[in-house]
Amino acid sequence: MTSSHAFRRFAFAYGLAFAVLYVVALKLDLALITVYPTLGVVLPGTHHSRDVAGPSMAFLAPAMYWYGWTATAALGALMFGFIAALLPEQWTRRFWLGWFWLAPALAMIACVYLTMPWFRL
Amino acid sequence: MTTALLIIHGLVAVALLGAISHQTLATWAPAHARPGSFFSRFRAVPSASFANAIVVLYAVSALLGGIVYLYFRVDIRPDLERAGHWHALGLFDLKEHFVAIGLALLPAYWVCWRRPRAAEPPRTRGALTSILAFIVWWSFLIGHVVNNIRGFGS
Repeated sequence: MTSSHAFRRFAFAYGLAFAVLYVVALKLDLALITVYPTLGVVLPGTHHSRDVAGPSMAFLAPAMYWYGWTATAALGALMFGFIAALLPEQWTRRFWLGWFWLAPALAMIACVYLTMPWFRL
Repeated sequence: MTTALLIIHGLVAVALLGAISHQTLATWAPAHARPGSFFSRFRAVPSASFANAIVVLYAVSALLGGIVYLYFRVDIRPDLERAGHWHALGLFDLKEHFVAIGLALLPAYWVCWRRPRAAEPPRTRGALTSILAFIVWWSFLIGHVVNNIRGFGS
């Protein structure tokens, strides 16, 4: 097993896992961090204004979750990537290569579905 | 400072747009194109040599976008919400999601172009390149739409 082959497996597994995990994080609102740009505060986990104060807090101190969703998916995908890099070469050869582009494409469609509420306002 | 960052973000995006469009067209353009035609000249360019530049430009553009996004959330988005630009905000949310997914595809994309295997179907490489091209075009256009809603410097 060469490092080149291991990196190849890592790269493909990372991209696939990230796409799937990002949609999961978005759907379940699993942000690793919540960023409050006006306060310059970063809190671990997902926090909504109603957790600590009234809904009006959202206007005073808007929360950002995109960084958190991305971090959640990246962390999970790193684990999948490292596992894939450690797997024997012959195990991964059976995997259909189409998943590596089909999964991100499907994840993008899922993101469109999850964003639909914006278009119904 | 924010405006300067936004302009640099835009310039990097333009370079990325050109590189990825060139590579995508070269990937899918017919191999039997008429000699001397636009497509045949397009194919004469070694597409693989664009891969490193595209990875770097995409990463830099995403990083700058991630910084500018902080200002967008504080200074721009509340105004768009008050003005009821829900569709624009939805399209911008999609841009965020697509860019994140594209960022994670960069290692696989790079491997496909720079460390290709003989047994690997060219469709994988072409598909990954096309997905990235779609993301880059989407992000570029939506970024411009959202930027232009309020007007420059307003």
